[in-house]
Amino acid sequence: MLDEATILERLSRAVMDGDEDAATQAANDAVGAGMDPQRAIMEGLAAGMAEMGRLYEEGECYVPELMVSSEALYAGLAILRPLVVQSASGAIDRGVAVIGAVQGDIHDIGKNLVKMMLEVSGLAVHDLGRDVEMDAFIDECMKVKADLLCLSALMTTTIIAIKDYLPVFKAKLPGTKIMIGGAPLNQRLADEWGADGYGENAMEAARVAIRLLEG
Amino acid sequence: MWCETMSSAERMGALMRGERPDRVPVIPFIFGHTALVCGQPLARAFDDAEESFRCQVLAAEMYGYDGGPLYAYASAGGWEFGGDVEFPAKKYSGATVVTRTPIQNEDDVYTLPVPEDITKAGALPIALGLARKQAEHGMPVTLQIGSPLTWAGSVIGEERMMVWLIKKPELVHIVLDKVSQFLIKVAEHYTKEFGAEKLMAFHGAATESNMLISPKQFETFVLPYLQRINSRVLDLGVTSFFIHICGEQNKNLKFWQQVPVTRQTVMSFGREVELATAMEMFPEQIIAGNVDPTIIQESRAEEVLRQAKECIEVAKYHKGGYILMAGCDVPPQAPPVNVFQMVKAAREFGRY
Repeated sequence: MLDEATILERLSRAVMDGDEDAATQAANDAVGAGMDPQRAIMEGLAAGMAEMGRLYEEGECYVPELMVSSEALYAGLAILRPLVVQSASGAIDRGVAVIGAVQGDIHDIGKNLVKMMLEVSGLAVHDLGRDVEMDAFIDECMKVKADLLCLSALMTTTIIAIKDYLPVFKAKLPGTKIMIGGAPLNQRLADEWGADGYGENAMEAARVAIRLLEG
Repeated sequence: MWCETMSSAERMGALMRGERPDRVPVIPFIFGHTALVCGQPLARAFDDAEESFRCQVLAAEMYGYDGGPLYAYASAGGWEFGGDVEFPAKKYSGATVVTRTPIQNEDDVYTLPVPEDITKAGALPIALGLARKQAEHGMPVTLQIGSPLTWAGSVIGEERMMVWLIKKPELVHIVLDKVSQFLIKVAEHYTKEFGAEKLMAFHGAATESNMLISPKQFETFVLPYLQRINSRVLDLGVTSFFIHICGEQNKNLKFWQQVPVTRQTVMSFGREVELATAMEMFPEQIIAGNVDPTIIQESRAEEVLRQAKECIEVAKYHKGGYILMAGCDVPPQAPPVNVFQMVKAAREFGRY
């Protein structure tokens, strides 16, 4: 039987290589070896994704590499995640997040990467997609009792929606922390507009999210 | 009191000839905004050649900036190859967006036709309508010829294409080849209808940003197609280019240097590329940029004026010439007084 360290290394390597088949195989081996699925996710798949995130932040890899890594990650998660709720250790439960690209914005690559990083960080994420109207965010946050709301806008022309949404969300969703992100945005605008957090990229967004929820 | 001694046409003409105009020219990069300041719905800038031209001319006259009308949009490609688009009619919409890409799966790549008649493809009827107005008024005739990867992203779907760059690179190359064929046909048509000497060929390069792809991917998937298209356009006799190098592209600049262009080429940069860097990399070409569009939307007029002054101070005496411009498309709802600060800065700090 394969030892756990080897399986974790294979899970991590499969994600870094963007190899869905290898991730599936390693995840099945983790199940076969009786590993704690949550450990396999966090110390195997998520560790590989975290390393890819580090490489992205250092300019050693780019969005295409992150995206194929995320495909491998989700291939492994498809096998391991259903087992987590049945395991003795239970899942890391860091909270519930709602995410979407605001009305008028149809770009969702960055939003999808943030979603993935939040998921591997232990949040349950409800993805509303793109071109999302204000009321849809409010309804979903109330429905799922969201701890965190993440708003994305990529275009200089659509960030205005975030500015308009924020005071409404602050009034209607007092228990929900709100983060914003997207290429034209920055920390200064996040502060001026009253967002609780800002992430320059998906990796930073996940770190800020955890800090907001644990702070 | 200092007075302008050139009209906008004379100022741009001098710049293109390599002569020094009376002051730094201004092209504010406010395509959609021009419709709103004329009291028209934003969509008119994109869906109506006559109205788009009229609004751009009136806005230039009101603000006193120097760039003439043009027709281009960032998500071009999807509609032209058979997909669907939506003009910006909803609140917060800023530009035309692709709502259904022509390619949905791998098989579609092989069967994707290159439109036979470019005059009927997607936005080309509108673009040609505006081009005819430009020609009627003796203005430079602009045509959008790329950039090819940004077009391919609209044909394939950006997210799908990002994955294919790694997993199915041969499919991306097939689409890039078809897009290049189409763009060359567009250039050939414009040359035949208007004459090469009247044309200014435009590339909007957004997907090429290093926020998305690596410099190596740029070298593999972008550079060969830019070289192919521009070489053909140069062969046709076109002598003027306008290239918007959007966003973070510092690591791509050495490859942009390898794209064939003329001295009469405007290279515009986003906030992420320092003007000083652009000047060093492209000493012979006209540099344009790079006031932050978010500042123009969100800050007070004094801050816009300060940043525009900074840009002028850095690039005013660039050997190839300099145009004060926003770093990317200004949000349509930007306060008009903020847009005007670019013209004010050019008049106050950009005098030669």
